[in-house]
Amino acid sequence: MVLESVDAELQRGELVVLLGKSGSGKSTLLNLLAGIDQPDSGTVEIFGTDLTTLNEEHRTLFRRDHVGFVFQFFNLLPTLTVAENLLLPLELKGTVDAQSRERALDLLQEVGLADRADAFPDRLSGGEQQRVAVARALAHDPYLVLADEPTGNLDRETSHEVLELLDRLTRRAGKTMIMVTHSHEVVGLADRIVSIRSGRLVEQPLSPQRPVGSSSLAALRSHRS
Amino acid sequence: MTSLLRRSSWRYLTAHPAQVGLAILGVALGVAVAVAIDLANASAERAFRLSTESVTGRATHQIVGGPSGVPDSLFANLVTALPTGNQRFLATPVLERWVSTPLSEGRTLRLVGVDLLSEGAFRPHLAALGATGREFDLGPFLTEPGAVALGMETAEELGLEVGDALPVAVDGQLRELQIIAVLEGQEERGSQALGDLILADLATAQETLGSLQRLSRIDLILPSGTDSETLVTGLQRRLPSGIRLLPAETRTNAVAGMLDAFQLNLRALSLLAMVCGTFLVYNTISFSVVQRRELLGRLRVLGVRRREVFRLVLGEAAIIGCIGAVIGILLGIVLGSGLVHLVTQTINDLYFQLTVRRLVLAPTVLLEGLLLGVGASIVAALVPAREAAATAPRQALQRSALEGKLRRQLPRTVIFGIGLIAFGALLLWPAGSVLLAFGGVFLLLLGFAVLTPAAVIALMRAARPLAYRLFGLLGSMAARGVTASLSRTAVAIAALTIAVSVTVGMGVMIDSFRHTLVRWLGHTLAADIYVSPTRPGSPGAAGAPLQPEVAERIAALAGVDRVNTLRSVVLDTDSGPLRLSAADLDERGRDSFDFRYGERNEVWQQMAQGAVMISEPFAYRRGLAVGDQLRLPTDAGPRSFPVAGVYYDYGSDQGVVLMERPTYDRWFDDRGFSALAVFVQPGTDVDSVLAGVRRVAGPRQQLIARSNREIRQLSLEIFDRTFAITDVLRLLAGAVAFLGVLGALMALQLERGREIGVLRANGLTPRQVWKLVTGETTLMGLASGLLSLPVGWVLAMVMIEIVNRRSFGWTLQVTLSPSIFLQAVLLALVAAVLAGLFPAHRLAATSPATALRQD
Repeated sequence: MVLESVDAELQRGELVVLLGKSGSGKSTLLNLLAGIDQPDSGTVEIFGTDLTTLNEEHRTLFRRDHVGFVFQFFNLLPTLTVAENLLLPLELKGTVDAQSRERALDLLQEVGLADRADAFPDRLSGGEQQRVAVARALAHDPYLVLADEPTGNLDRETSHEVLELLDRLTRRAGKTMIMVTHSHEVVGLADRIVSIRSGRLVEQPLSPQRPVGSSSLAALRSHRS
Repeated sequence: MTSLLRRSSWRYLTAHPAQVGLAILGVALGVAVAVAIDLANASAERAFRLSTESVTGRATHQIVGGPSGVPDSLFANLVTALPTGNQRFLATPVLERWVSTPLSEGRTLRLVGVDLLSEGAFRPHLAALGATGREFDLGPFLTEPGAVALGMETAEELGLEVGDALPVAVDGQLRELQIIAVLEGQEERGSQALGDLILADLATAQETLGSLQRLSRIDLILPSGTDSETLVTGLQRRLPSGIRLLPAETRTNAVAGMLDAFQLNLRALSLLAMVCGTFLVYNTISFSVVQRRELLGRLRVLGVRRREVFRLVLGEAAIIGCIGAVIGILLGIVLGSGLVHLVTQTINDLYFQLTVRRLVLAPTVLLEGLLLGVGASIVAALVPAREAAATAPRQALQRSALEGKLRRQLPRTVIFGIGLIAFGALLLWPAGSVLLAFGGVFLLLLGFAVLTPAAVIALMRAARPLAYRLFGLLGSMAARGVTASLSRTAVAIAALTIAVSVTVGMGVMIDSFRHTLVRWLGHTLAADIYVSPTRPGSPGAAGAPLQPEVAERIAALAGVDRVNTLRSVVLDTDSGPLRLSAADLDERGRDSFDFRYGERNEVWQQMAQGAVMISEPFAYRRGLAVGDQLRLPTDAGPRSFPVAGVYYDYGSDQGVVLMERPTYDRWFDDRGFSALAVFVQPGTDVDSVLAGVRRVAGPRQQLIARSNREIRQLSLEIFDRTFAITDVLRLLAGAVAFLGVLGALMALQLERGREIGVLRANGLTPRQVWKLVTGETTLMGLASGLLSLPVGWVLAMVMIEIVNRRSFGWTLQVTLSPSIFLQAVLLALVAAVLAGLFPAHRLAATSPATALRQD
């Protein structure tokens, strides 16, 4: 058993950073939140829905409607173009119409890849792929965004770009985001920091230098500079 | 499923053209063979129905007699007895006989004599020709001697026109007919129905056929309903003894039914290629699932449901099946037009005369082909689709995980395989139908296929030390490689094993059949020379008699020791036509029979007292045993004969009833001979006597006289021709299995790029890579070859002991020739090695850097 006693409540619009050593159970926790895995006991309740009461089929439906994922290795579908990758969650949700299509393409515009809409993922750089992945995670307007080391595979400069995007598109849109990371630099962004130690969730104090109020990323920048 | 998922799926398929192409080709070949055989069968059947219909027409009943037919006075009596005013039924006389023409070797035509005055209601297509044809003048047709009309297609084929003479041989005697009209069918159906007909006025036909005052039958149209029954009983009462009233379809159905077993056997065999094709689809789809394990995992994370993944994979299989089936149907039509000749040839050799001019594209057959291709592909994809749907989100389904799972499931797989075999054996057990027997055969094959992974592991474990000793580490690695990707190699080995074991099974069966036939011919053909007016065994011409004068002269020839005679006739019975032979045999003639049931001396004793003996297929078909009574329609009315014995006979799968000549003479009003068996005096040259026979017969009757040796040769030629189609089908199934191995190896090669890259980086030369891969394919081929031996042997036993006996009623002596088994191993080996050449070359040529980057 990786996770033993996890007891936490998250607020809408919060960015929670999840820390922990390799194998500590971070990904397992994300899987529980996404309804990919089921806990042996206890409940996972997301915006009023108890995932543990749902069967596999309904958890999948819940995920497709309300959860967005960003992975370390981008995980775009190589057989679909950039635009199609973005539209897939909408199609799965069954809400593809002219308006949502436009919104998805706007998202592409926002991540700065409107001109690569018809390219296949293997033609894109790592940073570009992750930007598409961010857009895809948000295309269907989920409550919850789960990011599993989204910058783990990117260089520093690109990492900043992606984080800026996540911050701008997620937190400011009022979505809850849980980000697993090893990078302490990102920690400065968090509203809350929790870490997993010996299967338990431990709330950590926020960094004292964390500025309050202003754009967190701007703060991160200033913090770094 | 969303359009984007479909698009993703389609792009994956198009990005792997070789894999998908092979699977499509596999389905296409499987469907092509099945469609081709079905089309050939359907065409033969349709041609038969049409030609029968053209002669039977709308008749509901027929009045038939014994071997010499019906006296035409009976028709006159019937007509005068017809209830006048309120005409309650219609009747018309028919005389028909198959005749040959010297214009075209081997071609037979159906000379039909009708009475045009009473004909109209029966065969409107013929009557209409008479009425509408501007060139068709009834006058000369009725008055000119030998005046006949011929179908347009036949006339063209024989190069004849109106006014030409048409020479025909009737019972070995040449007659000349005059073509006064060439008939053009109103429509396709009409012209095809006219195919083999020579239409003549009844009197002309009687004169030409030497059947004065005789008819083949009287056709009747009786009103339907209860009236009919009373009418039938009334008519039956009025008929003289030996003359019977039968429903018209009895004969047609019974004759068409002769082909059932033959066509079913062909069909079952034709499905073989599809079975191999199914393995190919399974391989392709399961490979695509393993290769896309990550992609499928990502889809699951995005919220694609299990059943959507399941449907996605099945959809891909359906696309492969659809494209394959469409190509297969087109190929099948091409292949069918080739096979229809082989099928027709066999029908003509073994059953009855039939000319099939064109392939009938029966829509049901084409639809069946489509369903077969798509259905088989979907069935093949069920297991991999389930695997794909079970993919947990983000969990990468590794090949090693899959292999591990397969290993864990091995005990269950073995039990399942044994279960399938047991169930298959159960289907074979009871005296069920041929269809059940084939179901059993397919289950057996499937069971053996399921057992393949376990067998491969055992074989490779045994092979590894030997391979190490012979080829060092590379040899050992090759053996290990085969089991390491068992989920893929086992399927390829299973497909190849099935194709090869069917070759072994069919080979042993055909070999045993041939040896049995040779032995039987050697025993049965006791006489030195056989003489008959028609081709021996020619089914349509059983009644053709030999002129008594000719027979006498032959018996009196110098060098002739004794002559045995045979009369062979076809009786119309309630359950269809029945071949009856009457033999006048001496001691040597009797010795030529071998009994399956019944003690020799007792049988001949009872035969002398008026009993009959029946051939093995006849006993099987009618469910008769020694001591039973067989009811036959004789010229003196129906009569029961005790069955004294059941004898071996491989001449006809319909079976023969044999009685002694005195018994025949007692019950039948017919003194003719159909054939003579001539025993030459010891020390006399057979060829000189043969020349004498031909000389004596020449001016009087065209006879076919053949020496014992010639008949033996001819029989074996017919035998080999019959199984020619089997060879074509086996070859095609083999081709599909070959594609299966090629596909499996190519998939393996794609998957193993990295492994080979590591090996190359560690210093393995391209040549060594080539050796490694070729070593693996050689082992796979060897495994297939070895596994196919026991499977093939079981298959052979089932074919000989069950399928063949249930289909045709023959007992075959099993002959196991080692060469067939040796050939099988070689065949599997060569197929696997050939299929491995290209993948081995590709892998050897891969640069280690590229291969390493692949992951």
